[in-house]
Amino acid sequence: MSKLNESKKQYNDIEIPSELKQLVNKSIETVKMGQKSKKPSFKRFGIGVAAAASIFVASVNMSPALAQSLSTVPILGSIVQVVSIQEIITEDDTYTADLKVPNVTGLTDKALEKRLNEKYIAENKVLYDGFQKEMEALKEVGGGNLDVVSTYEVVTDTDEILSISRYEANAEGSSFITLRTDTIDKRNEILITLPSLFKDNGYIDTISNYIKSEMSKEMEADETITYWIASEEEIGFESIRPDQTFSITADHKLIISFDKYEVAPGSMGVITFEIPTDVIKEELMSDYYIK
Amino acid sequence: MIKSEKFQLVENYIVENQNAHYRLAYSYVKNKESALDIIQESIMKALKSIDSLEQIQYLKTWFYRILINTSIDFIHKDKRMVVVEDEILDFHLPSNEMEIPDIDLYEAIDHLAPKQKTLIILRFFEDMKIEDIAITLGENPNTIKTRLYAALRKLRSTMEEKVKA
Repeated sequence: MSKLNESKKQYNDIEIPSELKQLVNKSIETVKMGQKSKKPSFKRFGIGVAAAASIFVASVNMSPALAQSLSTVPILGSIVQVVSIQEIITEDDTYTADLKVPNVTGLTDKALEKRLNEKYIAENKVLYDGFQKEMEALKEVGGGNLDVVSTYEVVTDTDEILSISRYEANAEGSSFITLRTDTIDKRNEILITLPSLFKDNGYIDTISNYIKSEMSKEMEADETITYWIASEEEIGFESIRPDQTFSITADHKLIISFDKYEVAPGSMGVITFEIPTDVIKEELMSDYYIK
Repeated sequence: MIKSEKFQLVENYIVENQNAHYRLAYSYVKNKESALDIIQESIMKALKSIDSLEQIQYLKTWFYRILINTSIDFIHKDKRMVVVEDEILDFHLPSNEMEIPDIDLYEAIDHLAPKQKTLIILRFFEDMKIEDIAITLGENPNTIKTRLYAALRKLRSTMEEKVKA
């Protein structure tokens, strides 16, 4: 059957990628390393990841004050600073974790400082543990991409207010983003919460109604915009949480944020609304923070 | 033989035959990344379950079994690829839509169901003996023979249809 011989030639002509050799050697090495390793939990990842993991654990266990700061964000007219503790773990391009942890220094209220920093470290620890678990599960089924990123941004930094936003993105096929913001009164060294800005719970409805009307307006004006608003037929945004993510801008405006997928399709990303001060004037405790 | 010697033999075999293994994996998934994934997973599985290789003369059939199972699992898991048995596809499509313009046996082999494809590749491309294929796939040699002829008949009829068309 000469046709079969032709086909055999075609089969033998399947191009061998240059990466194959390295991949084969690496796979063998990974198994060998795993067999030698004393720590069963890191067995399957090989020494590279085990070492990287221990560095991260070491850095999160380190006192934040002693932690090596890789970048510094100085704040004008204040000794309150936000620095980074950063650790990047990469494995064979398919699995990456890039976690950037903010660290607040310079507050005289050390208890508040400690509470904030411990929270930031804990958030990243949870993310890192989740990453490891997922990586293990993916390796079990033999593939996939995993990409975990956390970073932060100092969104507002005036003499009075410091707002730090932390973003988490988990891209395994599709990305998921959560956003958390802490706002600190630098003069009085108070962590500002959303309820503390208002006289009573009335703000929840006021802000929710404002956001819903803005959503409808935006959707009418632009067909490409979609928000999920709750109605009799549909499930969607009904009301903000009492502790909805918020920040305060340098010109004293209140910003309300929603995570990706929280109130709209993923393509809309993280969503923010600036609430005009007129809308909430009646509810505000004072015009000290929000003007 | 002590375990470390066995490991070394398996390791040598995997390194020496990596190209043949890659071709086999590639013939199932038809893309480089997936084929590389299959190779990686097969090597890991094989080396970790080295105890399941009882006699070293079965090294090749043992490794091929892992490689083939991993490849077929991969096709089933991979949501991007929908595998439909040819019989079902034939039933649903008008016959002319099934046809490939070139009369090409290699493509026809590609269109076989994964299990039939395995038989053709092992027997004719890898020159494996019926007995070894039987061991690899955990079937008895007569079953393999029957299925191999069925696969060949299927190929022949596909080719004939194309010639007529």
